Amino acid sequence: MSTAVNSPLVWDVAVDDAPVALSARGDLVAVAGAEGTVKVFDAALGAEIGSFELPGGALRVGLSPDAGSVVATGPTGYALWRRADGRTTVRESGAWSAAAAWADGTRVAVASGRRALVLDVGGGELWRTEAAASTVTDLAWMRQGRRLAVAAYGAVRCHERHTEKPLVTYPYVGSHLALAVAPTGRWICSGNQDASIHIWRTRDGSELTMSGYPEKVCRLAFDDTGFWLAADGAPDVTVWDFSGGGPEGTAPRSLRCHETVTALAWRPGAAGHLASGGDDGTVALWHATAGRPQARLRPVREIEGTGAPVAALTWAGPHLLAVAWRDGRIRTHGTPSRTAL
Amino acid sequence: MTTPEPRDLRDERVPVTVLTGFLGSGKTTLLNRVLTENHGLRIAVIENEFGEVGIDDALVLDAEEEIFEMNNGCICCTVRGDLIRILGALMRRREKFDHILIETTGLADPAPVAQTFFMDDEIASQLRLDAIVTLVDAAHVLQHLDEVKPEGVENEAVEQIAFADRIVLNKTDLADEETIGQVARRIRAINAGVHVLPAQHAAIDLRQVLDVGAFDLERVLADDPSFLTETEHQHDTTVTSVGIELHGELDEDRLNAWLGSLLRAKGVDLFRSKGILAIAGAPKQYVFQGVHMLLDGTFGRDWREGEPRTNKLVFIGRDLDREALERGFADCLATAGAAA
Repeated sequence: MSTAVNSPLVWDVAVDDAPVALSARGDLVAVAGAEGTVKVFDAALGAEIGSFELPGGALRVGLSPDAGSVVATGPTGYALWRRADGRTTVRESGAWSAAAAWADGTRVAVASGRRALVLDVGGGELWRTEAAASTVTDLAWMRQGRRLAVAAYGAVRCHERHTEKPLVTYPYVGSHLALAVAPTGRWICSGNQDASIHIWRTRDGSELTMSGYPEKVCRLAFDDTGFWLAADGAPDVTVWDFSGGGPEGTAPRSLRCHETVTALAWRPGAAGHLASGGDDGTVALWHATAGRPQARLRPVREIEGTGAPVAALTWAGPHLLAVAWRDGRIRTHGTPSRTAL
Repeated sequence: MTTPEPRDLRDERVPVTVLTGFLGSGKTTLLNRVLTENHGLRIAVIENEFGEVGIDDALVLDAEEEIFEMNNGCICCTVRGDLIRILGALMRRREKFDHILIETTGLADPAPVAQTFFMDDEIASQLRLDAIVTLVDAAHVLQHLDEVKPEGVENEAVEQIAFADRIVLNKTDLADEETIGQVARRIRAINAGVHVLPAQHAAIDLRQVLDVGAFDLERVLADDPSFLTETEHQHDTTVTSVGIELHGELDEDRLNAWLGSLLRAKGVDLFRSKGILAIAGAPKQYVFQGVHMLLDGTFGRDWREGEPRTNKLVFIGRDLDREALERGFADCLATAGAAA
């Protein structure tokens, strides 16, 4: 059994920037660099099919669900790119745009300073939220794009469409760095500067804090089922079980491979397959939900890197994992089996 | 016997200088010098959005001051969320910087800025706080220092001087000699050990403010061993320096208990602290420095043969009770209370 057979290299390109984010939808993969270079590749072949620049640098990139548009956000604004005609709309607002989230193929929420703006694909503003207590750090849509969750200092605020003021506010004193909403809509989780994960049950607003992480929690993500949450904040990736009554009183599984976790991505599907990347440049593939709670798991496989830290990971469907390294190298690896890694 | 390597040779983290000072003190002039002079360093400048005059340089980023409390039950333990964000993005760029300079607003509290470098692991692993440099307008600073603030409101000018590792006494051409002398004495009364660099048009040798290593434990108190002899108490100022020199070895448990309770009770009022201590039974000097309640300490060089075991401690803070501090510190001596 050779690992190369199990996760063969599909394509390999280099970009002239330090990648910070990846996104994949439909037949496309987009990568954004720290200097603001955004490139769009054909997921199957790696051919470049478009590119644009976001002045002031980039932080995140997001392909729309129909793969018809790309949004990039950065320290001084945001930009939208349309696949049909390559038209790019750049908005240099001077405001920090930490994140973007597509509601569907026609609407995207973009963080802009202390507000979230909801835009059409041409960049036209449909509505905006009132200012939060601090710069918005992350965004997520709930209820099939009808409710927008906005994370900033002190609270996660949920806005119904076209309402400036939040309909529901989930307060917690702390700097919320990242937001994950279960696909079931049952849970809202934030990763925090104070090295904890804060959890709200949406039904009744009841709260839970998972503290004791050695470092701040910057990355957390639910799998497609909404039963599993993976998070950084330690050398180990922790995986919490959100099935049934949630993780209260349970212990997470610990995934041990990296010294510092720099990227996390659940494989699409319900198999509990996870990819993680580290500062040392390695990518690990996991059966992240195997074993018992509190189990310390080993990776199913590791993919050799370039030596540079892993900057981002994303799955282009269940059978293709895209990896970006800080030195500008972008590679995709195939995962042909549906049930195995 | 091996001599420990100077820390700088091993520390590859990018040094960060924090520039504070009131509006009109000349921060923008100094930043422009930093960006245009041929000093051979690649310096990234983070400018606050209320800058006096915009600075034309691609590396200048705008910062909106966002002070975040940490959930550790300590009200003085705050960090700057905006800095964490901006520094994080800056360090992801491919071009590497030799130095980062952060300009804070004229009204900024230096503590959250400094604490950010100790409280955030991602920042601490890549960057080190080099020094806090405060610009002072020689002609106008006295009126800022004398300004009476409402109860509970800080006098930022006093705070910025108290926190400083270097003070650029700027605009000396616009003040008479008597005023300059008064300003210098007021600075010493607040921050006895600080280096004061007189300047006109913010023209200083950048080497005197960049790569100072003020927070480097290897260089704690190395700057100015004479700070302890400063005894200027003639001013009615609530923010002062207290330097204590004490001969003998300290009992580690008693020292920890005393420092712990002091920080819990007075952490909010203790702006900066530094020390070199002789711990009973330890062959090396214990060096520490702190900002409010955050203390960073380590064992430094070996005590030399025949070198007197002397403890040096300096606190800069508000309403410091010198006698109580001296007494508390003396009670930590291993020989103290031995008769009991």
